[in-house]
Amino acid sequence: MTAPSDTLFQPRVRRYPSASLTLVGAMIALAAFGPLVVATDPNAQDLLRVLEPASWAHPLGTDHLGRDVLARVVHGAPRSLGIALLCVLAASGIGVALGLAAAYGTRLTDAVIMRLSDLMLAFPGILLALLLSGFLGGGIVPMLIGIKLTLWPQFARMTRAVAIGVLQEPHVEAAELAGFPKPVILARHVLPPVLRQTMTLTTLGLGSAVMSISALGFLGLGLQPPTPEWGAMINELLPYLAEAPAQMAAPCIAIFLSVLGFTLAGQAFADETVRSESAP
Amino acid sequence: MNPIARAIAARATQALLTAWVLATLCFAFVHALPGDTALRIAAARVGEDRVTAETADRIRREEGLDRPLVAQYGDWIARLAVADLGRSLVSRRTVTDELAYHGRFTLGLGALGWLLSYAIALPIGVLAGFRPGGWADRLTTAVSVGIASLPSFLVGIGLISIFALTLRWLPPAGFRTGAHMVLPAITLALGLAAYSVRIIRNSVVEVRAAFYMTFARIKGLGARQAFRSHGLRNAAIPVATFAALQFAYVVDGFVVIETLFNYPGLGELLVKALLARDVPIIMGAGLMIGLLYAAANLIADLVCLTLDPRRAARAAA
Repeated sequence: MTAPSDTLFQPRVRRYPSASLTLVGAMIALAAFGPLVVATDPNAQDLLRVLEPASWAHPLGTDHLGRDVLARVVHGAPRSLGIALLCVLAASGIGVALGLAAAYGTRLTDAVIMRLSDLMLAFPGILLALLLSGFLGGGIVPMLIGIKLTLWPQFARMTRAVAIGVLQEPHVEAAELAGFPKPVILARHVLPPVLRQTMTLTTLGLGSAVMSISALGFLGLGLQPPTPEWGAMINELLPYLAEAPAQMAAPCIAIFLSVLGFTLAGQAFADETVRSESAP
Repeated sequence: MNPIARAIAARATQALLTAWVLATLCFAFVHALPGDTALRIAAARVGEDRVTAETADRIRREEGLDRPLVAQYGDWIARLAVADLGRSLVSRRTVTDELAYHGRFTLGLGALGWLLSYAIALPIGVLAGFRPGGWADRLTTAVSVGIASLPSFLVGIGLISIFALTLRWLPPAGFRTGAHMVLPAITLALGLAAYSVRIIRNSVVEVRAAFYMTFARIKGLGARQAFRSHGLRNAAIPVATFAALQFAYVVDGFVVIETLFNYPGLGELLVKALLARDVPIIMGAGLMIGLLYAAANLIADLVCLTLDPRRAARAAA
């Protein structure tokens, strides 16, 4: 594998890898432990205290049904981030498997898989998830399928490109001559560089999955109320934007920080990959 | 074969294939749903609680739902070929009328947002590219990464709270006057500019470091003049390529933006139809958006081929 030589084309920006990983770590910790720490029921309504500003009892105020906004943002974290993780893991699993098959299989397999990924890339990203959610009813499964389907072609393409490069290297040839079976060669020599390279895509994919999930929630086609999901919360609070800007800001900031963390971490991984490959 | 004709043929085939897959998916979704299709259509027409077995039977006969699936599928594709998409279950207008009406708004918003994004990104990108690593460059990068990390509806909500709710300069949503188009167009433009500004900046940096620019400077031209007469056209190639590609990404953006601003375009039509289970409209709008995307991709390909002859040579090889 050759590193991109045109470093001029890469924006020369310091990307603060440690800061981005801290941000990602903080969001994951929020998703994992937040609901245990903030024990308030995110769905408990109190119609006598709607749209209240921040107070000791409700640090981020209450929404239009008197529910605690802090609890809803915190309990929304495992949903938004967890579903994003599921989507991206599934997409990278499918993409890597098909990419390896395309690189290692017959020409026909290659052609079929690549045409399929062309076709998927010819769909506007959000349309498939929208149609699926619309027909099957809002919920986790249609969203998972829709987002996964739009993400896998990128993984397949990158896997195929990396695998074809690795398969031509002398150590793989040596392993083939030594009589190692194909699955062993794939697992030992091809998969590790593929996973290193796709790490960037995985991290960036998490960011775009968080965006898609919140967009579907916002359109009313994702997770359904009263589930505390960030996009759905924004949809519910939108009519009260003028009276309760702080309550609205909370889920917005949560989405922004998650996506920003994944984007910066993805760029940090990309830099790291380029650096480790250009090193002698 | 001429590379341009070949590219058109390849893209047109892909567009047709996309349309066919979308049409088949729509058909499959409708018929694979659990429960009785006729009962669901009846529920959409007369309301959940007033559906009787007779209404369902009548609809089953009217819509030909009692015939074999293969016949229904053939019928659906044949009607699509002559652009007969049926009528909306809600408004009772024909789907083609609805698509034509809402499509106009979407095309207007898309074109305005796209133009606006380059009005924003071009000067900023060139400024950042002239001093790589300078304060303008660092600020541009920080802001563009920040905006790229915001889903479009968050950008829109931010703009609404500033310009509509606090300053009261512009209407927050709906569509009556041209002023209603300003905020949606800026939202779309900011999302696009967050990406294109980086491409512009990089291509300016790259061109300014090229040998012919050094030569122009040695020849005695000033930095600005050298860039105007030698750099600009070279820097324009990747930018124009990306600009054409972004026209396709507009399709992705407008569904959410139109819904947020209650702007009567195709995306808003699709989302309303999805929430109301208005199947003919869902199918029509889905198909239309897919075809728009394919058409935008075709235009992008053509622009790239015309601008960069090297690409055409490679495509022909």
